Amino acid sequence: MGMQTNRRTLLKGAAAAATVALTKRSPVFAAPAVVQSTGSTVEITYWGSWAGDLGKAEQEVVKRFNESQQDVKVDYQYQGSYEETAQKLTAALAARQTPDVSALSDVWWFKFYLNQVLAPLNDFIAADKLDTSDYVDSLWNEGVRKDVQYWIPFARSTPLFYYNKDAFREAGLEEGPPKTWSEFAKVAPELVKKEGDKVTRTAFTHATGAGYVAWLFQGVDWAFGGAYSDPDFKILINEPKSVAAGEFYRKSVQDGWANITQDPDNGPDSDFFNGLTASTMASTGGLVTILANAKFDVGTHFLLEEETFGCCTGGAGLSVLATSPKEKQEAAFKYIAFATSPEITTFWSQNTGYMPVRKSAIDSKEMQDFFAKNPNYKTAVDQLPKTRQQDSARVWIPNGDQIIGKGLEQILVNNQDPQTAFDNVARTLTEEAQPVIEALKAIGG
Amino acid sequence: MAISVAHHAQVAYKPQTRTARRWRPSGEALLFLLFVGPNLFFFAVFSFWPIIYSAWLSFHRWDMIAPIKQYVGLDQYRYLLHDDVFHKVLANTAVYTVGAVGGTLILGLLVALLLNQPLRGRDGARAVIFAPSLLSGAAISVVWIYMFDPRFGIIARLLDLVHLSSPSWLTDPAWAMPAVLIVSIWKDLGFATVIFLAGLQAIPRDLYEAAKVDGAGVLWRFRSVTLPMLSPIVFFLGVTTILNTFQSFDIIQVMTKGGPVDATNTLIYYVYQQGFIAFNAGRSSAASLTLFVLMLGITLLQVRYAERRVHYG
Repeated sequence: MGMQTNRRTLLKGAAAAATVALTKRSPVFAAPAVVQSTGSTVEITYWGSWAGDLGKAEQEVVKRFNESQQDVKVDYQYQGSYEETAQKLTAALAARQTPDVSALSDVWWFKFYLNQVLAPLNDFIAADKLDTSDYVDSLWNEGVRKDVQYWIPFARSTPLFYYNKDAFREAGLEEGPPKTWSEFAKVAPELVKKEGDKVTRTAFTHATGAGYVAWLFQGVDWAFGGAYSDPDFKILINEPKSVAAGEFYRKSVQDGWANITQDPDNGPDSDFFNGLTASTMASTGGLVTILANAKFDVGTHFLLEEETFGCCTGGAGLSVLATSPKEKQEAAFKYIAFATSPEITTFWSQNTGYMPVRKSAIDSKEMQDFFAKNPNYKTAVDQLPKTRQQDSARVWIPNGDQIIGKGLEQILVNNQDPQTAFDNVARTLTEEAQPVIEALKAIGG
Repeated sequence: MAISVAHHAQVAYKPQTRTARRWRPSGEALLFLLFVGPNLFFFAVFSFWPIIYSAWLSFHRWDMIAPIKQYVGLDQYRYLLHDDVFHKVLANTAVYTVGAVGGTLILGLLVALLLNQPLRGRDGARAVIFAPSLLSGAAISVVWIYMFDPRFGIIARLLDLVHLSSPSWLTDPAWAMPAVLIVSIWKDLGFATVIFLAGLQAIPRDLYEAAKVDGAGVLWRFRSVTLPMLSPIVFFLGVTTILNTFQSFDIIQVMTKGGPVDATNTLIYYVYQQGFIAFNAGRSSAASLTLFVLMLGITLLQVRYAERRVHYG
């Protein structure tokens, strides 16, 4: 038989192997040289919040970027919802393991700005000769503080009024929803469907606090002539007009034509495409999923009016982290410029329902043809010029969204008197605004 | 934990100090350190230090990013003392704990008594009852969300058969807590049942025979033989289930996120909400210290008073 292995021969062999490895610089030891040879490519980490249909589109954007050039390689990492992304970024900052570029939603980027962990982008914009005037002004300006850009619009949305055209037709509403909320309340009972005394379809479904009801209600509040707050954190949500809007919400449920979503996870979107409600308000970012799942004729419409028209913007933008080294920041900015370029914003918009962030993209033949074929996509873009930036109380006060959302849940679920609910909300908001006001003073605005 | 460790250490060293002037490690002491060391190290890093740090944080205001943690004294505790939401959270925690612990123990005992009978298919039934406790809380919660759906969930269908309409389990504040309790009890029932079964089988048969000879009926035998003999099991399950329930997070996070309108917001969830949604590290720490003190108090009470009634046969 062959050589018998015992401990001595094994040790000898190991020693010999080690000597060879040390003297001949085996491939294992030479490894760093290989890495250095590709050192001209800057690798950056990008944290995003899109899954499902949106996640696929996002990965395609990253893939196209990586294939378009050799200097920068983006590693896309999905982090969960906007909230979870912000949580992880907070933890990453403590651990000093931050990504180089991150998606941050309308309510979160400001918190990171206040702590001065977002890189000012003006120098990169100038170096890259980015045509800032081509960005939709209102979206672009939301990311500016004291003339410095910190947050660039990417996945921007507005609420839309989604309705089931078949259901509306059956109820005699050929033209879609009426102009105002009050008029809608009058016809809404016609849209309710019952089996016996069991409601199988409501006319409208509200979101929960976790489903950003405070974002959706922002436009309704404005339409009724109210506001959550002024830009200087003076809380206005318990003023009479906001309370009237709250009372409208309360009555919608009490009168039996609206409900609060039974699907805390997917919100009114899934109730709507499952045919459990004839209409709802939801983000333009839900459009692709809704169209893909609905088995009826889907209509989109501007938000309804009351005293006036009101609709806010929302969604997420991209920011570069101040903690990254300069060359990675530059690389990260290159990705942002690519992801918001006319060509990519067109692709992104058509595959998600988010709005194109570039004027030239909106006017492009490709987008106009697309709109002609898919009028539902156009509603958001048409509505865009009439939208406004959200009130500071929701987006800039920490947890403001959830504080207002909980007040709305009190009204919708617990049938609480809106004045009481909003008085409580106002008290909490005023308290929670104090640290922000102090921090803003400390960094001079 | 720390107290008992220190106590043992003293006992181990005492003979040494008497025989030798200068302390030198004996083999026994080294062995002791070897056994205790790794455990102590991880406890210190992952339990003791966080407790101390969060106690310190509870006197500050901090958003978890800012370089400066602002000292605010007892403000965070004062806030909790006056906050309606926190009061509700405490009440919810009491309801949830009593409901889940009581439900698990009582149902667990009943099921164990049933499965202790020589029935057909008993082994299969035991496996079925035990299975949920092996599953991930988050995963079963997702399944239960579908089952609870008032329009197309299986529970609604079953209620429909007996002409009852389903409540809006997860969106009605009155029903959300029962819904969460049902899932929690269902999940923990198997573990309690198995432990009870083991306890039941350890009871000597002659005790029952003697009781029977003395003319004791079924209920009387249960009261005078089964319960006293099971008391160490009840005690053990009581302590572990209470501690588990206090810290139960997964079901609430997945099913209700503490809602609707805080109807299922318990202490541990509130700690998470304040910490990782509102990024209010100080308030979150103050709440978590409250939780810590409560759990410590309950455990001490249990050891002090409940253990006295336990009969170690």
